[in-house]
Amino acid sequence: MRRKFGPLTILEYICLVLLAVLFIFPLFWMVASSMKPEAEIYNDMSNIKAFLPSFHPSDWFVSYKQVLLRFHLLGYIGNSLFYGLCVAVGSIIINGMAGYAFAKLNFSGKKVLFGLLLAILIVPFETILISQFTIIHSIGLVDTRLAVILPALAGAFNIYLFRNFFMAIPKEIIESAKLDGANTWQVFWRIMLPMSKPAVATVGTLAFIGSWNDYIWPLMVLTDKSKFPIQVAITAINSTDPVYTNQVMAVLTISTVPLIIIYIVAQRYILEGIGGSGTGIK
Amino acid sequence: MSKIGWKENRGVYTFLRPEERTKNKTRWKENVVAYTFLGPALLLLSMFLVIPSIMSVYYSFTDYYLLTPDMRKFVGLDNFINLFQDPIFLKSLVNTLEFVVWVIPLQIGAALGLALLLNKQRKANTFFKVAYFSPVVMSLVVISVLWLYLLNPNEGIINNVLTYFGISAQPFLTSPKQAIFTIVVVSAWQGAGFQMLIFLAGLQNIPGDVYEAAQLDGINKWQRFMYITLPLLKPTSIFIFITTLIGAFKLLVQPMVMTQGGPVNSTMTVVYYIYQTGFTDRMVGYASSIALLFGTIIGLVTITQRKLVKEDED
Repeated sequence: MRRKFGPLTILEYICLVLLAVLFIFPLFWMVASSMKPEAEIYNDMSNIKAFLPSFHPSDWFVSYKQVLLRFHLLGYIGNSLFYGLCVAVGSIIINGMAGYAFAKLNFSGKKVLFGLLLAILIVPFETILISQFTIIHSIGLVDTRLAVILPALAGAFNIYLFRNFFMAIPKEIIESAKLDGANTWQVFWRIMLPMSKPAVATVGTLAFIGSWNDYIWPLMVLTDKSKFPIQVAITAINSTDPVYTNQVMAVLTISTVPLIIIYIVAQRYILEGIGGSGTGIK
Repeated sequence: MSKIGWKENRGVYTFLRPEERTKNKTRWKENVVAYTFLGPALLLLSMFLVIPSIMSVYYSFTDYYLLTPDMRKFVGLDNFINLFQDPIFLKSLVNTLEFVVWVIPLQIGAALGLALLLNKQRKANTFFKVAYFSPVVMSLVVISVLWLYLLNPNEGIINNVLTYFGISAQPFLTSPKQAIFTIVVVSAWQGAGFQMLIFLAGLQNIPGDVYEAAQLDGINKWQRFMYITLPLLKPTSIFIFITTLIGAFKLLVQPMVMTQGGPVNSTMTVVYYIYQTGFTDRMVGYASSIALLFGTIIGLVTITQRKLVKEDED
C-alpha cells in the first residue's frame, strides 16, 4: 500500500462495511433460507450458518421444486411479465403520442389541457382507488386482464417527460422530413421516437417496474387466481397452509430475479427518470 | 368557436376571403391531427383519473353502497360528521402522521449520510452502492413478507441477534406500541438507497473549485459541510423531501401485508382505511369522504411545497 491508512479512513471503512451488512443481510438470509431444508433454517438461526445455504448442495433447489409443483408459479410470473410488457409498450406509445402533440403540434385548447395535465400530477392516485374501482365495475371489466392494464397506461408524468424530450428535437428535422412527404404519424414513429431513446427507455422501464410491483390494484380487480400477478400470488402463497419458510423464501427469490435483471440492464434510465436532470421535475 | 368558412365579428357572420378559408381549414386539420395524437391518453386519463376524482367528490356526499348503486341518495355532510366521530379513522390519521414524522428524518438522514460516506474516490464504492441500493430492487410485498419472517418474535433472526448481544427479545409487529415504528424502520431501510443515489448525484454536481476556494479560506470540515455542501444541496434536498413526504402519506402495502392494520389498529393508515371501508366493507360513499379529505390535505401540501421551491429559485 502506498497510501497510509489513517485512523479516520479505517473508521470510515468499518462504517461502510457495517452499513452494508445492515442493508444486505435480509437478502442473504432470504436466498440462504430458500436453499436449505425447513428444519435447518431454525437450527441455524442462532449462528452464522443462518446466512449460508445448506452444506449439502443436493438440498439447494428442493424447495424451488416443491413450490413449482405446489403452485402455478410460472403462470403468475408469466402474468406479471404480460402485464408489465403491455403497460410498458402501451405507456410508450400513448404517452409518447400525447407528449408529441404538446411539444410540436398546434391545436386549440393546448394551454388549458397542459395546465390540466400539470394539475393531474398532484392527484394522489391511492385516494381515488375506490372510485376507480366503481368505474371498472360499471363498465364490466372486473376480473379481466384489461382492468389491470388499462388504468396504468396513461400518466401525466410520462406525457410531461416525453414532451420535454421532444421539445429539444430541432424543428428543421421535422420540416425536412415533411418536405420528403412524411405525414405527422410517420414523423412521430420514424423521427421523434427513435431520436428520444432515453425517454423511451425511461418510460418503458419505470412503467414495467411499476406494473410488476403493483399490488393493491390487481388485488382489487382480480378474483380469478389464474390471472394473478406474482405480487398478489406471494401473499396468497404465504397464507396457504401448510406454510414452509424455505418455500416462501424461494418464491420471494424467484419473484425478485426479473427486477434484478432490469435494474442491471436499465440502471441509467431509472435514475434519470425519477431524480435526474432533463426531466425538469421540480 | 367559429364556424368553418365564416368569420364572426360581434355576432355578425361575414363570408371569408379564400385565403382566410384555407387558413381556417388548415387550422381545423391541425386540430384533428393533434387530437388524434392526444386521444388515447385523454380518454384513459379522463376515465381513470379525472372522472374518478370528480365522482369521488360527489360520492362523498352520498350513502353509496357498492352493491346497490341505484339506491344511493344525497346525505349532505353526514359522512364527514361521522368521520370525525369514527375512532378508527382518527387513529389512522394519527398513525399516518406518526409514520410520516418518524420516517422522513430517518430515511432522508440515512440517505444523506450514506451519500456523504460514498462521496469520495474509493475502489470499493460500487460494491457499497450496490449493497445499500439492493433493498430498493425488491418490491414492497417481498420486503414486507421477508421482514415478517425476520421480525418473528419467537423464532425470527432479529430477536436471535438481539439476545446474542444480551438484549431481551422484542415483540416488534405484534406490539401495539412497537408496530408502527417497526414499519418506519423497514420502510426507511427499503427506500434510503434510492434517495442516496439522488443525493450522490447532487453532491457530485457541486464543483470542486468551490471547496478549493473554501480551503484557502481555512475553514474546517464541519464548516465546509454546513456552509457549502448543505446550501448547495438544497434543490436536491427539497426534491427528495417532497417525494418522500408524499410517498409516506400514502403508506399502505407494508401494514396491509405485515400487520393487517393491527394490533388494535395501531398500524391502520388512512389509505388502508379508505381501502377497508370502500372495498372490503363496500361503503363507497364513506370511503370517498375520507379520500376527499385526505386527498385535499396531500394536494395542499404538494402545492405549498411547489410554491416554496419556486420562491426559493427566484
